[in-house]
Amino acid sequence: MRSFFTIISKELLEFLRSYGLVVIVLFSFTLDIYIAGKGISLDAKNISTGVVDYSPGVISKKILSHLHAPQFKEPVFFLSQEEMMKAVRNKEIMLGIIFESDFERRLYKQNNPVVNILLDSTAATQSFMALSYIQNIIFKFQGKLLVPVKIQIHKLFNPNASYPYFMALSELLSVITLLSVVLTAAAFVKEKENGTWDIMLLMPVSSKAVILAKSFSQVIIVMAGTIISTGIILFGVFNLPINGSLTVFMILTFFYAFTSAGIGLFIASVAHDIIQVVQLSALIMMPVIFLSGAWTPVHAMHPVLQYLSILSPLRYYIQGSEGIFFRGTELIDLWEYFAGVIIIGGFIYIYGFRKIGKLF
Amino acid sequence: MKARVIKAYLKKEFLELYRSKLIFMVYILPTMILLLFGNGIRMEVIHTRMLIIDNDQSKLSFELISSFEHSKYFDTEVRHLSESRALRLIKQNRKDVVIIIPESFENNLLKVLPVSVGIYIDGSFPSRSKAIENYVNGVLLDASAKKFGSGKNSNGLITINSRNLFNQSMRDEDMVVPGVIGLVLLIAPAILSALLIVKEKEKGTIFNFYSSPVKKEEFLIAKILPVMILHSVNIVILFLWAVYLFKVPFCGSFMFYVASSFIYIIISVSIGLLVSVVTSTQVVAAVVTMVITIIPGFLYSGMMMPISSMQGGSVVEAHIYPVMYFTHILYDVFLVGDGIMASKNVLYFCILTGYATILFAIGFFLLRKKIK
Repeated sequence: MRSFFTIISKELLEFLRSYGLVVIVLFSFTLDIYIAGKGISLDAKNISTGVVDYSPGVISKKILSHLHAPQFKEPVFFLSQEEMMKAVRNKEIMLGIIFESDFERRLYKQNNPVVNILLDSTAATQSFMALSYIQNIIFKFQGKLLVPVKIQIHKLFNPNASYPYFMALSELLSVITLLSVVLTAAAFVKEKENGTWDIMLLMPVSSKAVILAKSFSQVIIVMAGTIISTGIILFGVFNLPINGSLTVFMILTFFYAFTSAGIGLFIASVAHDIIQVVQLSALIMMPVIFLSGAWTPVHAMHPVLQYLSILSPLRYYIQGSEGIFFRGTELIDLWEYFAGVIIIGGFIYIYGFRKIGKLF
Repeated sequence: MKARVIKAYLKKEFLELYRSKLIFMVYILPTMILLLFGNGIRMEVIHTRMLIIDNDQSKLSFELISSFEHSKYFDTEVRHLSESRALRLIKQNRKDVVIIIPESFENNLLKVLPVSVGIYIDGSFPSRSKAIENYVNGVLLDASAKKFGSGKNSNGLITINSRNLFNQSMRDEDMVVPGVIGLVLLIAPAILSALLIVKEKEKGTIFNFYSSPVKKEEFLIAKILPVMILHSVNIVILFLWAVYLFKVPFCGSFMFYVASSFIYIIISVSIGLLVSVVTSTQVVAAVVTMVITIIPGFLYSGMMMPISSMQGGSVVEAHIYPVMYFTHILYDVFLVGDGIMASKNVLYFCILTGYATILFAIGFFLLRKKIK
C-alpha cells in the first residue's frame, strides 16, 4: 500500500515539474472553457435587415418598428429590390423585407395582403429563427385584434436561453474526457519514450499496483482541474446555476474519469511516442464526443447513431451532468446515468488494464 | 537552387511520410472530421417530444391538439397527468415540452374572455428551447388566427411570402459542410507542415540541414511541397464527400473553388511554418497549431454566426483572420454561385493571395539555418 502512494506522489511530482503539461492542463480547464462559453453562440441576434418599402402608408412602418434589438439590427432601406438582392448575395444583409406598393390598400380592403421576404438561409439555424421572429411579429401585430389566447411560456432551467451556460458546461465535459485520456496515456508513454520503462519493470512493486497508481494519479489531476474549473469559470465567471448537488456531480466525474483513463490505458499500450498518443486520442475520442450528445441531443440523431451511443459512457455522463446542473433531476432518477457510467466504464477500464498489463 | 538536391530531399520526405504512417492521418483525419460534423450536428429541431395535458376535453381543445399532431416538428402524446408529474418527466429528460390546456378553455374562448395556455419547455439546450418556443408560438397563433379570423374575414390576414435563398429547405448539411471544409483546410495542412519541420528538430536530424550545403530555399521547398501536393488531393476528396454524400448543391465554378482552396492551403502551411520556428517538440507544435487555428476557424466560419450579425470588436477580429474571406468564397461556390462575377469574391480572393504571400514571406525570413 505504501508503494502505491509512493508511485502516486511520484507521478504528481513529475506532472508538476513538467511545466508545459501544467500550462496545457490549466489552459484547457480555464481559458479554453472561457473562450468556448463566450464565443460560441447559435443565437439569432443582430440579424442584419434590409427593407424595400414601395407602400406609401404607415402600416409598414408600424410593422418595422417591431424589429428591434437584440434580435434585429437597425433596418437598412434600399430603393429597389435589385439593390437589396445584391446586398443579400454579398452576405451583407440576411433578411430582406419587401412591401409592395398595394400592400396597405389590400390590407384595408381585406384582399390578401402579402409581405415578401428574401432570406439568406446559408446559416440555416439563424435564418430559421429570423423567419419565425418575423412570423410571430406579424401574427402578433394583427393578433391583437383577433385572438384572446394568452400564451404563457416557461422555459425551465435556463429561462433566457443563455448560451454561455450551455457551452461552458459542454466544453468542460469534453475537456475532462480528452484530458483524462491523454494524460493517462502520456504517463505511460513518457516512460517508453524516455527509456525509463525498464526501470519501472524492475521496481519491487506488482505491475497491477503500478498501473492502478498511475491511472489514479492522473484521475486526481483531472479532478483537481474540474474543481478549479467549476469554481472559477463556471460559477465565478459565468454564474452558472446548479439545480442539483455539486457533490453528486463530482462523484459522477470521478467514476467517469476512470472510464476515460481506461481508454488512455489502451492507447498507451499501442502508441510508441507522445505524438502517436495525440493522434490516436484525436481519432478515437472525436467521434465519441461528437456522437454522445454534446452538441445535439441523442434523440435527435440518426437512429443508427442513437443505438451506437448507448455504448458510449460519455452519453450517460453528459446527460447526467446536464441533469444535475440544469434539470435538477432528483437523485433517484440519476441512477441510470450512474449505472451507465459505472458498468460500461468498468468494462473499458478492465479492458485497458489487461491490455497494458501484457506489456509488464 | 539545385533541382537534384530538391528531388532527393523530396524523395526522402515522401518515404518518411509513408513509412511513419503519417500519410494515413493526412487522409483519414479530414474525412473523419467532415463526416462527424456533417452527421453529428443537427440544429434542425424535429421530433420534439411533446406532452399535452388536456384539462378541458372540448371540441376546441381537440382542434388545438390536432394542429400540434399535424406538425412535423412534434411527436405528441396526450395524457392526463398532474402538473408536477409532467414536470418530473422533463427533469428526467423524457419530454422536451409540456402544454397544459386549462379547464373551461372552450367556454372562456367563446365568451371572449382571456384564456392562458401554459407551456413548459426544457431549456437546457438553448438553441432547441428557442426553436421549440417559436414553433409552439407559431402553431398556437396560426390555429387561433384561423379559428377566429374566419369569423370576420380570413382574406384580411397578412400572409408571409418568404423565399429562402441559397438553402431552400434549410438543410443543416448545406450550412455545416462548406464551413467544415474551410475549417479542415485551415487545420490539417498547418499541423502537418509544423510537424514535418519540428520532427527533425526533436530527433536532432535538423543538424543535417544546418551543416550540409543544402540551401534554405531547397529545404523549405522539400518540406512544403509534399504537404501541398498531399492536401491538394484533399480539396477534391472533401468536395466529393460534400456533393455526393451530403448532397450539398454546388453552384459555382470548380476552378474557382480549387484555386482559392489552394491559396488557402498555402496560408495554412505558412502558419505551420511560423509555428515550427518557435516550437521545438512535436507535441507542443501540434497543440499550439490547434489552439491558434481551431478557435478562430470556428468563430469566423459563418457556421456559428453570420459575419453580418457581428458587432464591435469581433467585426475587427473577423477581418484580421483570413478565415472569413475563405468561408465567404466557399459558401459562394457551393450555395450562391456568383463566382468571379461578384466583385466581393474577387476582392476576397486577392486578400487571400496577399495573406498567403505575407505569411509565407515572414516564415521564410524567420527560418534560420543555425542554432538559436
